[in-house]
Amino acid sequence: MKRNLAQVVLSTVALLIVLSAFLPDTDGGFSGIVKSADSYFPIWFSIIAVFAFVLGASSLIGSHVRKIKDRETDWQYSVVTVLSFAIVLIVGLAKLGGASGLEGDVSDPASVLGRIFSSVLSPLHATLFSLLAFYMASAAFRSFRIRSLETTVLLVSASIIIIGRLPFASKLFSFLPDALQWLRPDKLSLWMLLVPNTAGQRAVLITVSLGVIAVALKYILGMSRDMFGGQK
Amino acid sequence: MICVITSSSHFETWLAAFLTLAVFSFLYRDNPFYKFAEHLFVGVSAAYWMVLGFWSTLWPNAVVPLFPDAALVVGATPPAQRDLIILVPVILGLMMLLKMVPRYASWGNYTTAFIIGTTAGYSLVRYLRSDFIYQLGSIIKSVIPESANIGLPEVFNSIFILLATISALYYFLRIRTNKRSANFISRCGLLVLMTAFGVSFGSAVMGRVTLLVDRLYFLFSDWMGIL
Amino acid sequence: MSSDSLLLLITLVVIAAAMLRHRDRKSEVDCIPEIEVAVRKAAELNRPAYFIPGSRDIDNIQTISALSMLKVVARYCAEYDVELIIPVSKSMVMERAREVCNAAYEEAGFSDRWSSSQVSYTTDDPLGFVAHVDGMIARAKPAVCFMFGFFAGESLLLAESSYNVAEVTIAGTAVPSQIPFFVASCDTTLIGEEFFAASAMLSGNQEDIAMLQGLDAGKQLAIGIILAVVVLSYLTLIFKPEMYESFLTIVDNLLHGGGR
Repeated sequence: MKRNLAQVVLSTVALLIVLSAFLPDTDGGFSGIVKSADSYFPIWFSIIAVFAFVLGASSLIGSHVRKIKDRETDWQYSVVTVLSFAIVLIVGLAKLGGASGLEGDVSDPASVLGRIFSSVLSPLHATLFSLLAFYMASAAFRSFRIRSLETTVLLVSASIIIIGRLPFASKLFSFLPDALQWLRPDKLSLWMLLVPNTAGQRAVLITVSLGVIAVALKYILGMSRDMFGGQK
Repeated sequence: MICVITSSSHFETWLAAFLTLAVFSFLYRDNPFYKFAEHLFVGVSAAYWMVLGFWSTLWPNAVVPLFPDAALVVGATPPAQRDLIILVPVILGLMMLLKMVPRYASWGNYTTAFIIGTTAGYSLVRYLRSDFIYQLGSIIKSVIPESANIGLPEVFNSIFILLATISALYYFLRIRTNKRSANFISRCGLLVLMTAFGVSFGSAVMGRVTLLVDRLYFLFSDWMGIL
Repeated sequence: MSSDSLLLLITLVVIAAAMLRHRDRKSEVDCIPEIEVAVRKAAELNRPAYFIPGSRDIDNIQTISALSMLKVVARYCAEYDVELIIPVSKSMVMERAREVCNAAYEEAGFSDRWSSSQVSYTTDDPLGFVAHVDGMIARAKPAVCFMFGFFAGESLLLAESSYNVAEVTIAGTAVPSQIPFFVASCDTTLIGEEFFAASAMLSGNQEDIAMLQGLDAGKQLAIGIILAVVVLSYLTLIFKPEMYESFLTIVDNLLHGGGR
């Protein structure tokens, strides 16, 4: 019974949103109610997500405290997590260090939280992203070794794009006769970007959108069996 | 005072440099410096997002509408009246917390139903309109002539885009029939997709290298003062 | 109702009708046997399996599909007695993943092999999450890593770290910008729609097979619309060139928003 009721909630909410896409923009009547409900939902989701933080925090702290208690391997690092979590939570909720106290902006760069962001989170974000340069090279090298037709095509087109974007790309192959100038990496990379890339990306986007639509319909029509399970 | 600020900034630069090097060290292998940076990252970022969620989402969107005077705490003007409709997500949020109590865990299913319902509804409309219809329109507009006066290169490109798109779509139609039995068209479709992925890969490389150069510049300039 | 809404409604009706009129049909995606083989390999090596359901919250349909995949993977892990570890970056995904795994282990008849602590929340920050998961993977040395769902820039960080230690890496995402990275670094990658289709096929439920019918109907509709409009445009251009402008206006109205 409870499961059926949950499915009714799911389908009703979803259908209201779908309906709002087809209804005209008016303030009153059924259309107005549906439209206003539609505008509420994103905010409601973010409010629920904040409540869910409690679940996440209890899982995070619980698992690290257990590690510390049981003196598991690398338990010392769990102390770092628990302490840093507690400190940031306290200074953030109290808005410590900001010019206007609680009335100030939570992400004020002068506050303790703002300084923690700029000295800890910001460099960590940037460095992790910069690792991608190394990882891209290793992934490309491995694909080159696999030597299947598909990965070769992927790598060749990636190489043409990279070479085509180099400042001296137009100088390369400038010796080619006029009839073959289109083979110059800068021209070829532009063509690849505008023609095969357009076709491939659009085919992916169309099929992905169909996938999303079908999954969404599956849940709205109540065709998903694994929707509301129990928990141990 | 200036001295305190300078030394504090100095400390922050050293901390940022240490964390940068600690993360880079993972390229060699897992090590205590990386473990420290990783655990610090988890603790700080988890709390950071929770604090932002509390002050930027919960307070203005849930606490203030229910208790207008709460707006004064953050220096905002209180709303004229309570907005009791906000009780709905608050109750749904509290019901989600009941998942921690096994006896009442099933109450949380209504919250899950609400969230998946909104996700399904929004995704359906957005992907149908913005992706399916829009992309279909884009392809069609790319392949049909704008007027009777078009050159040979444009005709070639139009036919290429048409054939490439159809073959790529056909590849997805055939995926469920096992690749070994894939025919010529779907194989061409896969190659079109790989070319497009190669273009994405190549385009991303330059951006990532720029990020790496940026980090190295921070180390050599801001921290070491060499550059 | 605007003309683009009309096309929107037609598409919706075609897909929904195909889903509701489903027939029993045997179908297969290449990765299906590979998932079971990968889990079996983990059992032989007595090493854990990692499942990463993306880095976005449950308000993303890819996360929901990833959790459907998780159910299948969890069932295999229960049967082959492989420890399944699921690090997540969102609290609600954690709850849902626990429910899904609990149901999968129960269905497989091995609920004693499951503990909710196998699903752990890390941080909402996608990069903080990836930094931690990379570390976890480097230390636990899993035999197999599954990465399904929505990934942004962090996809390659996860894929490469997984590839360095795991025997098998299988990924699936519908984010076009991240697919190339998974293709380049993983053993098997489910590209875009394959990811949605695989989760349906793997479950083997009649309802999920019906979803595939809907997907195929949509693709046939897309190919049909493209070909029909192109053929019509050339016919108009050849036989009624004076009506070509009006034809373009009709196409514009029908497919409102499509840009060159």
